[in-house]
Amino acid sequence: MSAAIEVHGLRKRFGGLTALDGVELEAHPAEVLGIIGVNGAGKTTLMNCICGIYRADEGRVMIGGRDVTHRTPHEIAHHGVGRTFQIPRVFRKMSLIDNLLVPVLDRDEADPALIERAENTLEHMNLIELRHNFAEELSGGQQKLLEMARMLMPDPTVVMLDEPFAGVHPTLCKFMIERIEAMAAGGKTVLLISHDLTSIYRLSHRVAALNEGRVIAMGSVDEIRSNPAVVEAYLGN
Amino acid sequence: MPPESSGAGRSIERASADRIYYTLAAVIGGTVGIYFLVVPVLDLNIAFHFYLMLWITMASAFNVAAGFSGYMPFGFVAFYGVGAFTTAILVKSLGFPVLLALPFSGVAGVILGLLFAPTLRLSGIYFAIVSLALAGICRLVISNMPDHITGGSFGLQLGSRAEPVHSFYVMMAVMLLALGTILWLSRSRLGKALRAVRDDAEAADMMGVNVTRVRLYGWLIAAFFPAVCGGVEAWYTNVVDTETAFNTLTTAKTVIYAVAGGLGTVTGPIVGSVVMVWLDELIWRQFPLLNLLILGVATVMLVLFLPRGIVGTILRRRPEWRRYIP
Ligand SMILES: Nc1ncnc2c1ncn2[C@@H]1O[C@H](COP(=O)(O)OP(=O)(O)OP(=O)(O)O)[C@@H](O)[C@H]1O
Ligand SMILES: [Mg+2]
Repeated sequence: MSAAIEVHGLRKRFGGLTALDGVELEAHPAEVLGIIGVNGAGKTTLMNCICGIYRADEGRVMIGGRDVTHRTPHEIAHHGVGRTFQIPRVFRKMSLIDNLLVPVLDRDEADPALIERAENTLEHMNLIELRHNFAEELSGGQQKLLEMARMLMPDPTVVMLDEPFAGVHPTLCKFMIERIEAMAAGGKTVLLISHDLTSIYRLSHRVAALNEGRVIAMGSVDEIRSNPAVVEAYLGN
Repeated sequence: MPPESSGAGRSIERASADRIYYTLAAVIGGTVGIYFLVVPVLDLNIAFHFYLMLWITMASAFNVAAGFSGYMPFGFVAFYGVGAFTTAILVKSLGFPVLLALPFSGVAGVILGLLFAPTLRLSGIYFAIVSLALAGICRLVISNMPDHITGGSFGLQLGSRAEPVHSFYVMMAVMLLALGTILWLSRSRLGKALRAVRDDAEAADMMGVNVTRVRLYGWLIAAFFPAVCGGVEAWYTNVVDTETAFNTLTTAKTVIYAVAGGLGTVTGPIVGSVVMVWLDELIWRQFPLLNLLILGVATVMLVLFLPRGIVGTILRRRPEWRRYIP
């Protein structure tokens, strides 16, 4: 069985700064792979390279066994990759329903069927009452939920969540954790970035620790917790 | 069970919202259509209403670029001017019947749009400035063409003076085609993709939207209609010269009318054009000398107090109307 995500020797430089320095990573189908690391470790850059918005300088990215390196973001999206953003990026002047329709615009399904699916997805995310509002009228936490709903609309096989719990109330946090668990249970591969270690440890099947653009440790939650290199990178020396 | 809380309830609610939308569209569209249809019959002011329709079309097409796609083409007049010269040259030099020449004006607009398409990579003020510069270049190119083709500084006489009524009804057909297209666009998948790209192009790209293609389609729609308008106006006035065909004031008026009504809505540019053209006429009649000054002040007031435009402000106050008012 091929891995859902494979990253080999990924390197990304910004001028003199090496944000990713030969990242090796693999995530299996239906696995939640947590990614931890201090600020500036390269977590978001890694996601941006996988989904094609940044062009990697070196290395390869495979999704479901297919090489998607240097493909455009919309091609990669059509390969079944969805994501959310560290700072929500909703379509501000569009209704919630229209926000959800954007990723499925090129589907053959008829509009009413898609709208119905959008409504059901919004209902799942507790946003149904607001479906006709503009996305800019939502609170920050609600925008995070909207992004998650939008990401799920095309039924992606790989989802990447960048700090889904940042600035989110504990009640909503719990709700999101349940949603993420459901995604993995439904067979999706989840790449999860978070500074909230409690949630990461609870959700992840495995965790990768990133430091200065390199994977310094990779393994089960227990292995990562007790890994001296991780402890040092996180707590300093 | 409250109707909103179940899937079946929502689909009933959706159907009734659609019914209201289409009824409103039919009633408003029908009223406007009948109104313009009877202008010549009732011997109302044909010139005034011809230009009203022209501005509605121009502002609505501009809105596809500015409101739906997020571009501010300050050189919008380029399409209009090239369209005007296309029809004039085809009629004058090649003996085309006007009605056959007009579609070619639209095609010329689309070709010009394709030539300008690389500028879609720019955004904001950079796009606006480059667009302005390109319009200047278009004007220069045409002024430097041989006089026997473009008529030189005296302008080109079409030499087949139209019955004003004929060009009036053709203008009306063009306006209805434009409004129909934009009404379709606002509900279409292309329209949703355009709006998504406008709000966040990178995010739209990562959601599977082919940003370059979507932008190009929107841009070509915005380029087609002003070019046809230019052609119809050339026919109506029977003369084209670079001075008026590429007049920056044409862009300025288009922008003001569209913004006054509200960018990003279908009805905004229509309402904006009707209000502003009518206001213009009223002021011009009452104060022939201060006309531009007063109009300028009115525009400033409008933008200051209704920055989202008339329709935009109404929909801001009544978000639930967004579903019925495109
Ligand atoms: N577009 C960019 N241009 C220049 N430098 C960038 C760019 N994006 C990221 N970087 C740099 O790359 C490094 C890694 O950034 P990245 O956003 O991946 O960190 P991160 O691990 O997501 O951090 P955080 O936890 O704060 O979100 C940082 O030093 C950052 O300054
Ligand atoms: Mg980050």
